[in-house]
Amino acid sequence: MMAEADAGGRENADPAFSALLEDSAEDLYENAPCGYLSTLLDGTIAKINTTLLGWLGHERDEIVGRRRFSDLLTVGGRLYHETHFAPLLRMQGELGGVAFEMKTASGARLPVLVTSTVKTGSGGEAQLIRTTVFDASDRRAYEQELLRARDHAERERDRVQRLARTLQQTLLPPTLAEVPGMQVAAYYHPASADQVGGDFYDLFPVTGDTWGFFLGDVSGKGAAAAVVTSLARYTLRASAVHDPDPTVALGILNTVLNQQFHGTDPRYCTVIHGRIRPHGDSATVTLAGGGHPPALLIRADGTATFLPIPGGQLVGALPGARFTAVDVRLEPGDTVLLYTDGLTEARTHGRTRYSEEQLRADLTGSASTTAPTVIEAVTDLLAGFGDGVEDDTALLAFSIPLPGGDQP
Amino acid sequence: MTSPFSTSTDPAATGPLLTVRGELDVATAPRLRARIAELTLTAGQLLVVDLAGVTFCDSSGISALIAARNVAEAAKAKVALVAVPARLIRTLALTGLADFFPTYPTAEEAISAHD
Repeated sequence: MMAEADAGGRENADPAFSALLEDSAEDLYENAPCGYLSTLLDGTIAKINTTLLGWLGHERDEIVGRRRFSDLLTVGGRLYHETHFAPLLRMQGELGGVAFEMKTASGARLPVLVTSTVKTGSGGEAQLIRTTVFDASDRRAYEQELLRARDHAERERDRVQRLARTLQQTLLPPTLAEVPGMQVAAYYHPASADQVGGDFYDLFPVTGDTWGFFLGDVSGKGAAAAVVTSLARYTLRASAVHDPDPTVALGILNTVLNQQFHGTDPRYCTVIHGRIRPHGDSATVTLAGGGHPPALLIRADGTATFLPIPGGQLVGALPGARFTAVDVRLEPGDTVLLYTDGLTEARTHGRTRYSEEQLRADLTGSASTTAPTVIEAVTDLLAGFGDGVEDDTALLAFSIPLPGGDQP
Repeated sequence: MTSPFSTSTDPAATGPLLTVRGELDVATAPRLRARIAELTLTAGQLLVVDLAGVTFCDSSGISALIAARNVAEAAKAKVALVAVPARLIRTLALTGLADFFPTYPTAEEAISAHD
């Protein structure tokens, strides 16, 4: 049985094989797996194969002697052909792998890759142009898939940035409370558009004649820091209502953070939390410190001094941390600036880090300082550091205007 | 100029000696934290952290040092910082951690104080 089948197979194979050998050049040309066409030097199509006619849905006599190659292209393709392809081909004698779109009889577009050579006569003079056309639909589909994937990735990135921005805004007050007889101003500089930062501030009414404020910096970055930031912000805000002493609110926040984040991944924040009590044209400010860089007091005469709060510890790192407070009296023309270390640890142009001492020097001697002008001055400094600002930076300032100066 | 960050651990008579070099910031602190998590500390030992080569330390670095202290405390061991650079001394003072981390000029002094 087997042998018979083999013998029969061989008998059948021989005519098929000879049919292959007898395959005419004519048939190869007409039914090749790519399109062929030959054009005169003015572009008029002299010859075109069946494959390409089939792809385009045209009859041979509509095309040969009547249309130019560029007539079969889309408008953009025709322009590119006339301005680039044809001149280059004339210059080089051959040109390959150029992407075009051809128009089919039904109006559809067929993406193709075109290769052309110039046939020359024995004297070297150009006679006609031979062109092969490959169907590039698959390749185009692949490219479009890549483009779609890129668009998707870009949309995703925009979405993440929008989410980070929204989350950031919920951690900052939309507007600062107005304090009678005072000017207040704040600024937030996010170091990254993709990540929620760990700095926070607020200024809010506590009782009829007292305002509370805080500005702080949570260790770490991103979502993990944002958890601590919102916990810190709302704990301080709620505690401030219950006890007039800001060190009490810091103690509550310390307990909350220390219970929640103990162990090998400690989370803590540094913060200055305080009260403002305006009276007449001056105000008493109480500042309670939890390990935060000292606030800067700029007096009406332009001198700038730090307001250290000795003995205050980081909030959340240690069970039973200590917090202390200092009082300072503000007179007309005085300004208090709170900041986070994103400012004082920014790399300056010499790439060395900025410092608290330089900040004090830079803000000394500016007469008629107010909360808005000091925030503007420091914002300009930050802009000058450019990408040297590696961490988020929060700024909060309040001042008592000089009589006759800008009123709030 | 930024200096490359590295850590190394050596055995000492009283427990591990952890040496930290370079900028200790948000990018490098996780490496120190990982190194701390790998330490084996037994009750009564002393973890000595040598900070002589630390050129910068931000809040993430402070976090890692607090983690070291928490790990030591969990093992009923102690922690000491040695050769603390001036700027870091200021940060520890500012953050109220100066009393919390015993500091010594050298590892030898920390070790003999522990004995």
